[in-house]
Amino acid sequence: MIKPVRILSKVLRHRKLEDNYYSLTFGDYKAASKCKPGHFIHLKLPESNLYFRRAMSVASADAEKQELEIIFKAIGRGTKQLAQFKKNDPIDILGPLGNCFTKPAKKETVVIIAGGVGYPPLAYFATELVKSGFPAKQIHFFYGGRTSSEIVDRPRIKKLGVNFHPVTDDGSFGEKGLVTQSVEKFIQANDDLKSKLYACGPEPMLKACDDLGMKYKLPGQLSLEAPMPCGIGVCLGCIVKLRDDGYVRVCKDGPVFEIGEVLL
Amino acid sequence: MKPVLSVEIAGVKFNNPIMTASGCSGYGEELADIYPLSILGALVTKTITPEPREGHPPPRTAETDSGMLNAIGLANVGIERFVSEKIPFLKKQTTKIIVNVGGKTIKEYVELCARLNDQDCIDMIELNLGCPNVSEGGMQFGSDPKMTERVLKEAIAVCSIPIIAKLTPNVTDVRVTARAAEQGGASALSLINTLVGMSVDHETWQSRLTFNRGGLSGPAVKPVALAQVDAVYSAVKIPIIGIGGISNYADVIEFLLVGATAVQIGTALFVEPDAPILIMRELSAYMKRKKISHVTDMIGKIRKF
Repeated sequence: MIKPVRILSKVLRHRKLEDNYYSLTFGDYKAASKCKPGHFIHLKLPESNLYFRRAMSVASADAEKQELEIIFKAIGRGTKQLAQFKKNDPIDILGPLGNCFTKPAKKETVVIIAGGVGYPPLAYFATELVKSGFPAKQIHFFYGGRTSSEIVDRPRIKKLGVNFHPVTDDGSFGEKGLVTQSVEKFIQANDDLKSKLYACGPEPMLKACDDLGMKYKLPGQLSLEAPMPCGIGVCLGCIVKLRDDGYVRVCKDGPVFEIGEVLL
Repeated sequence: MKPVLSVEIAGVKFNNPIMTASGCSGYGEELADIYPLSILGALVTKTITPEPREGHPPPRTAETDSGMLNAIGLANVGIERFVSEKIPFLKKQTTKIIVNVGGKTIKEYVELCARLNDQDCIDMIELNLGCPNVSEGGMQFGSDPKMTERVLKEAIAVCSIPIIAKLTPNVTDVRVTARAAEQGGASALSLINTLVGMSVDHETWQSRLTFNRGGLSGPAVKPVALAQVDAVYSAVKIPIIGIGGISNYADVIEFLLVGATAVQIGTALFVEPDAPILIMRELSAYMKRKKISHVTDMIGKIRKF
């Protein structure tokens, strides 16, 4: 388990993506070398009466340049404030926090299932896998959203050379339907492959992924989201129930859990 | 001249007046990953109960303006696992250890204190007499002066470790329970615990906590806490540990001025887990600037109108 550090970093790049999504890259982030796909950081909002930090999964990290990127959708009061950050603004980062995705075995087919705002940690995961020499063609990146504009940051996925499977509820981009329906069709059509699922997204989607993993006896990992007062495991606010009874902390025992581990 | 930060409560010498508040630093393990606990005046554990408790189902915290509500429901490992799994870690720490306990009955408080009395690394015990987010028994003692006095008397009879009574602010006159705790033999008082609160989502009409009620903490409660410490300071002779929204060195000084000998940092640890380090540094700088040689020189020195 890595030890979190609190670092005063600064905004290096601010990019508006599609549909109220933003990408913020922080510079002078000395802990970038410790970041792995699945980790999150806890950001302090500038002077405001919003009291908690905001947990954001890491979308990319560059150890050499000491940079770290997050991608988020400005929906709530906190994310709307984050979207207002400008270049060179200082930002207080606590991190990296949580656990991370475990690498697939060489022969496994990686089935990534990203739903809406659950995209960033999986983009990071796919990027690092490809960088480490894992064949891009063995990665299937399913990305679901309600409509075309919710499938953001497409050039990054295309550049990776992975198999890209966009899915939208209204069919405005890629296949029409729910992302988990497309994944199930893929699993059925490829039952000769040793697939491993990696998912992050809204809770109903994660529950469907958990069900798919168990139905088809496929291993995999789910990255959960929860409001987190502390992010370091002391407040016990972000708990989730285990299938075999008892609670675990999303921030400290997760956010990545094995399929079948938690009760969704 | 280096300012002296040490304080003494019931014969226990603390290196400085900065403690963590119960429920905000677990059993110390997570904070120890961030900085050595030795920098703290004391670590106060989560409330330990006789049996393990998993607490209320989520959601059990909610952000509020300048603070938060919690209805964790005293989730903890229970006294036996605390002794076997957490005490070995706490034993290795050089900071002072204060164990917070809570029971449903006087008998449970007494048994908890007796069990802890066997451990050699515990410097003080803090009785949680008023947790607003559990409905059972002992958590209401804090609003009943007779029960407050009795639980202290009976706990002290079986326990040689000095006992702090943690008082609830959810009473008409906190001085009444403060005097009862002093009468019962408490070595010190700590206050305030959280204030009963609620949060509702106006769009969905949904309560934001499964327990509906929760304990309000954070900067939002600081003025209430200051007033209660101030009231209790003139009502009792035993030392007071101030709690309530303390986030920076200025807050610490305010609590000292109204009569606290030490303070506990709670909710602020969730936002800045390393707050005690910064507070200590700035407190020293302040004392140098004001030429105050000992932190105790500030206790109760508020200039009132």
